[in-house]
Amino acid sequence: MKIGLYSRLAWNNIKKNAKLYIPNILSGIGLTAVFYIILTLSKDERLSEVRGGSYLPTIMSLGVIVIALLSFILVLYTNSFLMKQRNQEFGLYNVLGMEKRHIGKILFWEMAICAICVLVGGLLTGMLLYKLCVLLICRMLAVNSILGFYHVSPKTLIPSASFFLALYLLTYLFNRIRVARMKPVELLQSTHTGEKEPKVKWLLLLVGIASLSAGYYISLTIEEPLQALELFFVAVILVILGTYCLFLTGSTAFLKLLKRNKKFYYQKKHMIAISGLLFRMKQNAVGLASITILATMVLVMVSTTVSLYAGIDEAIQRQFPHQLAISASYGVNGEYVPIPQEELLRMVQTSAAEQGLTLSYVEERRYLNCAFRREGNAFWIDIPNKHDKVISCLFITAEEYQKLTGEQLTLLENQMAVYAFPGNTGQTPDHFTIEHRSFTCAAALTEYPIPIEYLNSVDAFGFVVQNEEILTWIDALHKEAYQTNLSKITCELFLDFHDEETASQVFEAFADGLHKQISEYVASQPASNGSYGTSTSCKWDALASIYGINGTFLFLGLLLSAVFLFATALIIYYKQISEGYEDRNRFQIMQKVGMREDEVKNTIRSQILLVFFLPLIVSAVHVAFAFPILTRLLRLLFQPNQALFMGCTIVTLAVFAVIYVLIYSITAKIYYQIVS
Amino acid sequence: MAFLEVKSLKKIYTARFSGNQVQALSNVNFSVEQGEYVAIMGESGSGKTTLLNILAALDRPTSGQIFLNGKDLGGIREKELAAFRREHLGFVFQEFNLLDTFSVKDNIFLPLVLSGTGLAEMENRLNSIVQELGIADLLNKYPYEISGGQKQRVAVARALITKPQMILADEPTGALDSRSTDDLLETFRKVNAQGQTILMVTHSVKAASHANRVLFIKDGEVFHQLYRGEGTNEQLYQKISDTLTVLATGGEQR
Repeated sequence: MKIGLYSRLAWNNIKKNAKLYIPNILSGIGLTAVFYIILTLSKDERLSEVRGGSYLPTIMSLGVIVIALLSFILVLYTNSFLMKQRNQEFGLYNVLGMEKRHIGKILFWEMAICAICVLVGGLLTGMLLYKLCVLLICRMLAVNSILGFYHVSPKTLIPSASFFLALYLLTYLFNRIRVARMKPVELLQSTHTGEKEPKVKWLLLLVGIASLSAGYYISLTIEEPLQALELFFVAVILVILGTYCLFLTGSTAFLKLLKRNKKFYYQKKHMIAISGLLFRMKQNAVGLASITILATMVLVMVSTTVSLYAGIDEAIQRQFPHQLAISASYGVNGEYVPIPQEELLRMVQTSAAEQGLTLSYVEERRYLNCAFRREGNAFWIDIPNKHDKVISCLFITAEEYQKLTGEQLTLLENQMAVYAFPGNTGQTPDHFTIEHRSFTCAAALTEYPIPIEYLNSVDAFGFVVQNEEILTWIDALHKEAYQTNLSKITCELFLDFHDEETASQVFEAFADGLHKQISEYVASQPASNGSYGTSTSCKWDALASIYGINGTFLFLGLLLSAVFLFATALIIYYKQISEGYEDRNRFQIMQKVGMREDEVKNTIRSQILLVFFLPLIVSAVHVAFAFPILTRLLRLLFQPNQALFMGCTIVTLAVFAVIYVLIYSITAKIYYQIVS
Repeated sequence: MAFLEVKSLKKIYTARFSGNQVQALSNVNFSVEQGEYVAIMGESGSGKTTLLNILAALDRPTSGQIFLNGKDLGGIREKELAAFRREHLGFVFQEFNLLDTFSVKDNIFLPLVLSGTGLAEMENRLNSIVQELGIADLLNKYPYEISGGQKQRVAVARALITKPQMILADEPTGALDSRSTDDLLETFRKVNAQGQTILMVTHSVKAASHANRVLFIKDGEVFHQLYRGEGTNEQLYQKISDTLTVLATGGEQR
């Protein structure tokens, strides 16, 4: 026998089994392309230099790991499926006199042909689509740059190619071992042996119920966003474990319970459906659980990343109601004293004029920002432990409040008006103590004139106090507790420029000019010790970085979702095929025993429908239970808007359901072709 | 009129693309009385299976008529055929055709469940039948756990439980060893002794020698028939063998 024979045989085998091989090769091409794209994105220096692009390498490296894992699982899954379907064929070769090493050679050639198709096709597709992905990412980062040429880098081509080559070699190795172990007669008959009725494994059932409820419990009860971040992956793993266990045993237990009820069981529709499902669930439990997990991941990824991205402008608007906030102070005898407002404003105006900018809005706000440890209604200034419940508080005087809002508040010395920032998880107190001093809340405010930064992980409150004395008292508490001479009282200038676009472009020159002026001013002050500090926070910097993070997340989320969706479709497709071959027999027997063709079709269709839509239903339930913990996590990423997230989740679920139904109906056609 | 009356039955298969015609049955006439045990014999391709399929209402004849208990099978609408088969006919197949997702008990119950019989009635019928067939202790097993002979007895129980007017058996001993064959034929004899009409298509001389009457089919026609009369199984066996020899060597006998 010549080498040519084996390659020809292998090629013929692939052609004959096109129904099985084409999806296998296509999925390989898709995975290789995505792997190459994500790897290249994580390494592309041109992109990390773009505004907001500095997060790309880190986030994309995460993506590479996910894709690598998924590829590993999917390639092995499709391979094992292919081999199972071809048992008989190999048995026949063996019986006809081919030695196992000859079959091994055929397997090698089949693997080689597949690998070549996948590598060439995948890398070419990847290179073609890379440009598109770059455009998309620039769009999501809100950057207008166009990176002209096609980027082809051997630095990422070679690792991508070798990773998938290694995967295919691994499948070959598995198949070779499989062939070495097979006994031809068994293989020839393997499809005729009956399946045992599944037994309920009670321990597994208990583990499943316990871990699923533990996962749900974590999501429902967690309050602190930071704690949520720590426990999120624990909850995810618990839910995955629970899903697998329950699909494996829960469904069987439920069906057996139904079977035990004889009156219910011995009815035309129920009897065939229940025992059919019992066996279907046994064979499909792992596949269905996998589909459920993939579907849940898609739903979570898309709904969170889309809502993050959609919430950017709102989050920015809340944290940065104005384009620029500046405060500056200088050292006098070991104390820091704010530069007087009119001086600072004069310097800002001069520097702005140098850059051709004019101000459209100016306002000074004076407030104290301080963090406390909260124990019920007692607020303590020291925070010894990183697991303590921390709140962030802003204080302004009633006088300042009236100046900024025009509203007059009448407060006693032991009274405060309180405002709870959106997204708080803890209760708003109606009376409380700071250290040992008691206050009551005289009024609940619906607005607060000072925006709070880093409203991400802790509860935040805004207070209005009666007089300046209380502010300085709190400031003194803080200075004492932290042994510092830095005051927590801030005088901040809030500014808007007429031309935001130009301002954002010439901002660096403006800031340089301002610094020069401030240092000159500080030098001219006799009491000064020469040191000064300024703090500027500007909207466009924040915009760039938030678009950078959220845009990158969105891109990765959508790309991975597309891949996961594809994986789901692939598993469903293979499932339909294997079910089809098995149902064909049953179909014929039932007709002989006296069921009408359309009755048989109906009962089988309803079983298939149930089996395929169960994952969709379960993943919707998972998403519903994940909702609380996800809202907490989104707060960490500056997205406290629950309604927006809810909307995104529902839309995602609806779109996903439509795609799922489409996948189902396309694959169902192949199923009916096989059955009839 | 006889219990089963088959009149000038004709079946022609037409190949879908070439239009070639194959005549499976040319002109079949016979009748079966109630309580009879009839075997139909013939070589492969003689039209046995076609005849059985038409009798089972699984296939329609090209022309000719069948009356079962006075009812014209051709007059039954397509939609009612499945119910008709279920309620009036019982089937025993060579390959048993038990569903491996059902236990033995559920396999036997299946036709009754399909017709919507109550649970108490089902249990009632089951008890008497399984005692008689000796499969009472197999009820909770699954088809893959029992032997071929046992499977065939389960199939017989499934055929009997609807109290059919006639049992149609297609090579029922084809997949059984000789002991199981003897058991099954004994079972058929017992069932027939209680008045059950049985029509069996078979290759096996031994199986046919248990019947009361044997019809021979050749080239789509009933070629010859033998009656048991007062003879023993062995005598009938001998007669069948002789007839088959004549058929095979091409004797003209009608």
